[in-house]
Amino acid sequence: MKSHSNLDKKINTYLNKEFTGIGESQQLYELKEELSINLKERTKDYEKKGQTEDEAFKEAVSSMGDLSGLKEDMRRLGEDQARKEVYTSMASRVSAAGLIVGILVIVFGALTTLMLSFMDLPSEAVTGPAIFIVAGGALITYSLLTRETSKYYAMTKVRALLYTLAVGTVLFSLFTAFTSGFATGEMFIAISSFMVFFIIGLGLWLSLLFTVRTSRRK
Amino acid sequence: MSNKISNDLIRGHTDTIVLNILQQHDSYGYQMYKTILELSEGQYELKEATLYTAFRRLEKEGYIASYWGDETQGGRRKYYRITAEGEERFKQNKKDWEFAKEILNKLIEGGGGE
Repeated sequence: MKSHSNLDKKINTYLNKEFTGIGESQQLYELKEELSINLKERTKDYEKKGQTEDEAFKEAVSSMGDLSGLKEDMRRLGEDQARKEVYTSMASRVSAAGLIVGILVIVFGALTTLMLSFMDLPSEAVTGPAIFIVAGGALITYSLLTRETSKYYAMTKVRALLYTLAVGTVLFSLFTAFTSGFATGEMFIAISSFMVFFIIGLGLWLSLLFTVRTSRRK
Repeated sequence: MSNKISNDLIRGHTDTIVLNILQQHDSYGYQMYKTILELSEGQYELKEATLYTAFRRLEKEGYIASYWGDETQGGRRKYYRITAEGEERFKQNKKDWEFAKEILNKLIEGGGGE
């Protein structure tokens, strides 16, 4: 048992040395595992022919052949991986920042509106800061859709922007409804100004929903 | 060593050799190495480096697929199996080989009699 773990260590050291300086990738990990079991089985076969473990291991290694092609292949994969990681980590930082700012803007809008409602102001002035809720909601929508998680791929920027526009317009329609409703005190004005933006937003949203798209589910 | 077949002559057929073995049964690296040595009656040794390069290439082209074995003792083996596309490819390669063999025979052996 001791000699086997010793062999494992030798094989690991050899492979790590051979593939040193090559960027990590799933393929490299699997190739090393493949080569490792191969070397191990071959060494054992040589040992059965009466060689010592050391001799057997050396012979197994020297008859592997020229690994340079495989190394080149792995180097390319490692570089691709590194590039992808830099890209996704940057994209996820951007979308995390978007989410945080969006939530803070909404909270700010909501609290300001609440505060104004307790100050004896005319009600049309109270709804003013609610526009921040609209902006925050749009920002959160965009950040969520462009976020790459373990379950979902990020949506393309153009499509995410269209969704953002749809959500923003619908939120804005609510905002105009309240503002104009309170300002005039007439329900029909509230509904008519609500209608304009709401229908635009809804139309945009529906057209996005009904156009074919690839699943973001991984 | 001089009686071993020149590498250059065979190298272009590595993929076909691998596909031939896999269309008979699934196999893994070291077993494939031994099978090739046996089939050639010890005359041809396909180095592991060349073999794994061929595996990677064939898998990328969709002619073979791989899966991990469930050995628990002393590490997992990665097995390869042939795909439907691979079987098609093998048939085509075999046809090409039959054709080339015939022509080469004529070109290399023929013409001496006048």
